[in-house]
Amino acid sequence: MASLSPLPTALSTLSSLNPNNNRLPSGHRHHLSLLPKRTLTLSATRSTDAEGGALDSASAVVEKKPKAAVSADPEGKEKQQPEAVAAAAAGNGAAVKAEMPKFRDPRWVNGTWDLKQFVKGGGTDWDAVIDAEARRRKWLEDFPEATSNDEAVVFDTSIIPWWAWIKRFHLPEAERLNGRAAMVGFFMAYFVDSLTGIGLVNQMGNFFCKTLLFVAVVGVLLIRKNEDIEKLKKLLEETVLYDKQWQATWRDDSPTDSKK
Amino acid sequence: MRLLSPSNLASDFSRHLRPAAHIAMLRREVLDSFLRSRAQSQGAHLLPALLTSLSLPSSPLHPYLLHYIPSGAGAGAGPATSTLAVDVVVGADGANSRVARCIGAGDYSTAIAFQERVRLPPAGMAAYADLAEMYVGDDVSPDFYAWVFPKCDHVAVGTGTAAAKPAIRRLQAAARARAAPKLAGGVVVRVEAHPIPEHPRPRRVAGRAALVGDAAGYVARCSGEGIYFAAKSGRMCGDAIVRIWKEKGRVAEADLKREYLRRWDEEFAGTFRFLDALQRVFYGSNAAREALVELCGDEYVQRMTFDSYLHKKMAAGRPLDDLGLLWKSAGSLLRATILGREVERLRSL
Repeated sequence: MASLSPLPTALSTLSSLNPNNNRLPSGHRHHLSLLPKRTLTLSATRSTDAEGGALDSASAVVEKKPKAAVSADPEGKEKQQPEAVAAAAAGNGAAVKAEMPKFRDPRWVNGTWDLKQFVKGGGTDWDAVIDAEARRRKWLEDFPEATSNDEAVVFDTSIIPWWAWIKRFHLPEAERLNGRAAMVGFFMAYFVDSLTGIGLVNQMGNFFCKTLLFVAVVGVLLIRKNEDIEKLKKLLEETVLYDKQWQATWRDDSPTDSKK
Repeated sequence: MRLLSPSNLASDFSRHLRPAAHIAMLRREVLDSFLRSRAQSQGAHLLPALLTSLSLPSSPLHPYLLHYIPSGAGAGAGPATSTLAVDVVVGADGANSRVARCIGAGDYSTAIAFQERVRLPPAGMAAYADLAEMYVGDDVSPDFYAWVFPKCDHVAVGTGTAAAKPAIRRLQAAARARAAPKLAGGVVVRVEAHPIPEHPRPRRVAGRAALVGDAAGYVARCSGEGIYFAAKSGRMCGDAIVRIWKEKGRVAEADLKREYLRRWDEEFAGTFRFLDALQRVFYGSNAAREALVELCGDEYVQRMTFDSYLHKKMAAGRPLDDLGLLWKSAGSLLRATILGREVERLRSL
């Protein structure tokens, strides 16, 4: 739970690193420039230079789409839309502003996932539901859709049972962290034993060793990647910043200072 | 009020409204002139003018000198710039406050709020007769929300941001796109943009000059609400000055700080800090925004939000329900974060 709050800010830094945003010349419509990159990535033709793709003029972007869309496409289903739309747009010739492809999935019915289509071996395949929802969110992030009252989204992630989340996401991470903790613990115990001669059982009785153990556990939980150290520091700064700004007016005791 | 997530999950806030409760939509042009004429009818002297500068007094016994260019009736007759000597100054001149600059109140970081007033055909307006919408998502704002607020005979469509100010037009286009079917046939009649302070100024009281409202930086985070706080801080400051005059006859900086600032901070700083925390947790990423909208579907959240919003005070909930809410928030954030990580993983494939 302690790693939760860094994660949203972490995610925001991750999503803000989307290279497309930096390379857009002014005046480009957001969704147009993203479309070539997304279909190119999904169809696994990574050789195309993203820089070149993004810098194309709007008309060239429309031309690129049919080429990219018809290449080998492992994603399958949802991409039928951009092919059809792009073909229509290219067919029109003059159409520079392409229609935004809407999210379509046969399992997405009436604003929610139809669980009857996710049956696997008698029960619901929750992994597939999580996958499908992740794909839908990714699609909508790339191609935001206008809302309409008759196609209201009512899917609530809380219908996915807790053990499905744990089995898929917590257990591998827990295995990794416990492995790290075990490795660090074993070698620290050996190291301290070789230095001081105190065995493992007696080490646990010592306050200093218990503190080190606590620090090691907290460290393994909070710092999972190298970037986490910076993120934690920034988080701490941000947390106290707003309060400092409110207290600023009380810190100035001499009222006759010069103008700022 | 409907809150819409990046994946268009909608949370309808009006489901648990008490009978007489409502979220007010405001036309500033109407409110401002009403407040002004009400003050005048209560005995205030209205002097239509443009304040050019403020001379600070050389001692606590000397007055402030306001240099202004009169406008309105009889403006052409007298000299171009006039001067007015006053004892106490209350700076209520908004985010670009000249009073704040002249008294050396310091600077604050601002967000920009960009809004277009759109006149819709009658069918479109009928849909917004009792509906206001808030859109969250990276496409409409990286750190705030986009809105469609009905204003009597037109709607205001806008968005705001602090982190991506140069991209405001792209964000506005995205906001319009999100509401496109409902704005069909609309005509943009006015475009407005305004800076919104993100935090209070370093010095809100300097000498015998106090700042209120946007000039002081009293804008709540997360909701961007500033109108109530502007009016309330103006009233508290006025009350404080009157109290000091009754007790001591003369206003000093320490008195202003004690009577106005201290009381304001005691009453509202907690609310502001809580909203700042909410903004940092829930507006940080698309995943967090999904969690926010999911949580807002909960009845307890809606009730607490309304009570706090209507009374401008952190509503005191029941402890057991608060714990339940904490548990649900953790669950929602966890699920949304996991899905967010899945999305990033898919993106990097």
